[in-house]
Amino acid sequence: MRHLKAVVLEAIILAIAGLLLALAANALSPRGLRLARDYFPGGPSAPINATHSTDSLVLRLQQHGLKLALSNEVAQLFRGPGYEQGLIVFVDARNDSAYQSGHVPGAWQLDRYRPENYLPTVFPACSVAQKIIVYCTGGSCEDSEFAAMMLRDAGIPNENIVVYGGGITEWTNALPFEVGARGSGQIIEPKR
Amino acid sequence: MITTATQAIPATRHRLGDIAALAARWVLGVLFIYMGLSKVLHPVEFLKLVRQYNVTDQHLLLNLISAGLPWFEIFCGLLLVLGIAVRGAALLLVAMLIPFTALILQRALGIHEAQRIAFCAIKFDCGCGAGEVLICRKLIENTLLTIAAAWLMFWRQHLLALRPGLFPQRP
Repeated sequence: MRHLKAVVLEAIILAIAGLLLALAANALSPRGLRLARDYFPGGPSAPINATHSTDSLVLRLQQHGLKLALSNEVAQLFRGPGYEQGLIVFVDARNDSAYQSGHVPGAWQLDRYRPENYLPTVFPACSVAQKIIVYCTGGSCEDSEFAAMMLRDAGIPNENIVVYGGGITEWTNALPFEVGARGSGQIIEPKR
Repeated sequence: MITTATQAIPATRHRLGDIAALAARWVLGVLFIYMGLSKVLHPVEFLKLVRQYNVTDQHLLLNLISAGLPWFEIFCGLLLVLGIAVRGAALLLVAMLIPFTALILQRALGIHEAQRIAFCAIKFDCGCGAGEVLICRKLIENTLLTIAAAWLMFWRQHLLALRPGLFPQRP
């Protein structure tokens, strides 16, 4: 009994020390999370067994007051004159490495988990655009929805924003994509 | 001659136990350090995975778990590898592994029910730090780790340990 008490006491001391060290390490880490930030605003928790059909995506977007853009609509916008004029803007809501490995040509990056690094450059482009297409990986990825809400909260009119549900996965199967930095000129033709 | 032999058997057993405890400490320690590091390097991915478990709707608590847990795992792993406060660290591992395993099981049962997939064919990224895993295998692995950690809580002699207990041990 005495042995067990000592073990429990030791564990409590370690738990307190470990928790303090963990929080300090997170605060010091350049990749650390911001504890006070709501990374998933305005929405319920992710459903455990979500089926990621288009219908469920449309419903989810409607809950957030957002509209879905399908692949043919997005392709049309990409090929239209507005794209060259900067009136059609693509926003990639993924992180640096995903963006660098392939994005819609000319898309602006908005890693929604670190908006302070991206919003100052993305916002001016979006504020003059007539249509903003936000995307992420596609499938179960929700980052495009949250990035769209972030743009709306920053002052971009909601009617200008659409979410491309197919994401980069669908895009790279049918349309050319750019690798490296924005405007790198390294255009790769579709996979099929 | 007989007396010497009977004395030697418990001593050998003890020695084997010490070696097994050292192996258990190192395996558990290295595993927890590795799992923790893989989450620390991709905190956002881990945050998304933790959210999938629906453990809380409070964003502060969700962030605390996602930000703190990986570092805490590294901390416990280091304690075991270095042999510091081994029994307390082992208890913390048990206290982490049991709810982790229960949550994984709960989520796997949910998927099993919703998608009608054979239980042992269910595969998902449990947020454990090793990517997508077959759930039966993960549950067995976690059970073995829990048993090993629980055993370490009661083993008193530790080889190559800097400070096995925070408090002086009584015979």
